[in-house]
Amino acid sequence: MNRQTFSVAQFGTRLGTRAEGDTARGVLLAAIEAMPPDGQLLVSLDGIEVLSGSFADELIAKSYQLLVSGLYADRTMIVGAPSTEVTEGLDDKLTQRNLAMLCLQNGRSSILGQLADPHRETLSLVIDRQSATAKELADTLGIPPNACHQRLRRLVDLRLILQERIGDAAPRTQYRFRSIL
Amino acid sequence: MREEPPGAKGRAIGVQLTIHRIEEVIALVRDEGRRHLDLRSVRFADPYGLLLLHLLACDEIEHSRPLHIVWPDRTPVGRWIHAMGLPAKHGRAPSGMSPNVRSALQPITPIEDEAGIIDLVNRFDARLAERYPLDDAPRRTLIRIMIELFQNIPQHSNATGEIVHPRGIAAMQDYRDALILAIADNGIGLRTSLSLRETDVVDSDADAIDAVVLRGLSRFADPGRGKELQRIFRMVRSWDGTIAVRSGSALLFHDPERGADIHDVAPFPGVQIALVIPQRIFGVGEVDEVPEDRFNEPNE
Repeated sequence: MNRQTFSVAQFGTRLGTRAEGDTARGVLLAAIEAMPPDGQLLVSLDGIEVLSGSFADELIAKSYQLLVSGLYADRTMIVGAPSTEVTEGLDDKLTQRNLAMLCLQNGRSSILGQLADPHRETLSLVIDRQSATAKELADTLGIPPNACHQRLRRLVDLRLILQERIGDAAPRTQYRFRSIL
Repeated sequence: MREEPPGAKGRAIGVQLTIHRIEEVIALVRDEGRRHLDLRSVRFADPYGLLLLHLLACDEIEHSRPLHIVWPDRTPVGRWIHAMGLPAKHGRAPSGMSPNVRSALQPITPIEDEAGIIDLVNRFDARLAERYPLDDAPRRTLIRIMIELFQNIPQHSNATGEIVHPRGIAAMQDYRDALILAIADNGIGLRTSLSLRETDVVDSDADAIDAVVLRGLSRFADPGRGKELQRIFRMVRSWDGTIAVRSGSALLFHDPERGADIHDVAPFPGVQIALVIPQRIFGVGEVDEVPEDRFNEPNE
């Protein structure tokens, strides 16, 4: 995986106002654009003492909204945080925007923002397996394939997993779903 | 507004200039037309009362109705008000009275533009840290609260550009078992701010406070905006603290005993907010004895 780290601490340790977050977002988006089409940006909150909801919204949540809109191809973005406290404001703002991001903390992953429990369950399974088809996941979860496919569609839309075409067998195109961690 | 009633000049303001009693002073000036405020009987004041008095006096000056304020005598509260930096244009301190600089935690401080917010927050935090060894996590929470509340002034208080002399001020004080943070502006207020929305327009100041503080609305359609005052309200409530949010002719007041209530008050421009946070939240125990040089006389 082609992962690069973007340090939020470059803007200070106590962050910040909306205007400051807005300015910082230009730097973050430039970093996303500079990555290869399948690259992943780890937005690191190491060294941050305070991250206000306003700054987090302008810098991270708004950037993530653009990423989810498809503006940056298959690039993905995750958060790295030293504690849950520093992500509280971001968690709130992602929830307000009906978005969800993966967060790495001390080697463990968690979800920030808004994601329904069934989707969390499915995401967790994809992360465990690293890669699986919808049928494999549906069998493990014990749910109908269509229901599983809807969950996976939402996770793909949120850039929490990636899908890879594996064939065009009738009646529909076949995909594998891949963890971004 | 009525003319100043005969004999009013000599009538003194009651013993408190606080979150609980400042409305009486505003009503005296706005509803009864009182021009003479005799504060010599005041024995207790807090930052919220002081900020409102400051904005009230400025507003009256701008409308060519200057107030004549007689300061408290050489009492602890008089020296504290002096140290908190109530401008001299609002009445002179008694001659020979020195400000009690040690008593004022964070004097009245202007909030002018968004670029200076973090420096301002750092200044408030540093003053607090000089006085108390606060626990880190609640201290950081307070910093987040200050960032959001302070930036609201440059972001929202004059969003229409109609305020000729916009003012934003903040102050902070500790007293016994609580920390009192006050933020005030003379801007357009919550109702006018929400009127900039295309939907969910509110009809009154009380509805505007309800919409912003209790329901999390803002003047922006962007779903990422708003909800910060709502979060702060919930946080203070969860700490068993007290919060007041005043805008226009309505005041939301919440304390642990009575809960939240929005009621009518005398009209006044802008938004004024007070948070009264128990010091135990910061890992500071109750102070049994408050030295004279720390703050006002006891609140009776």
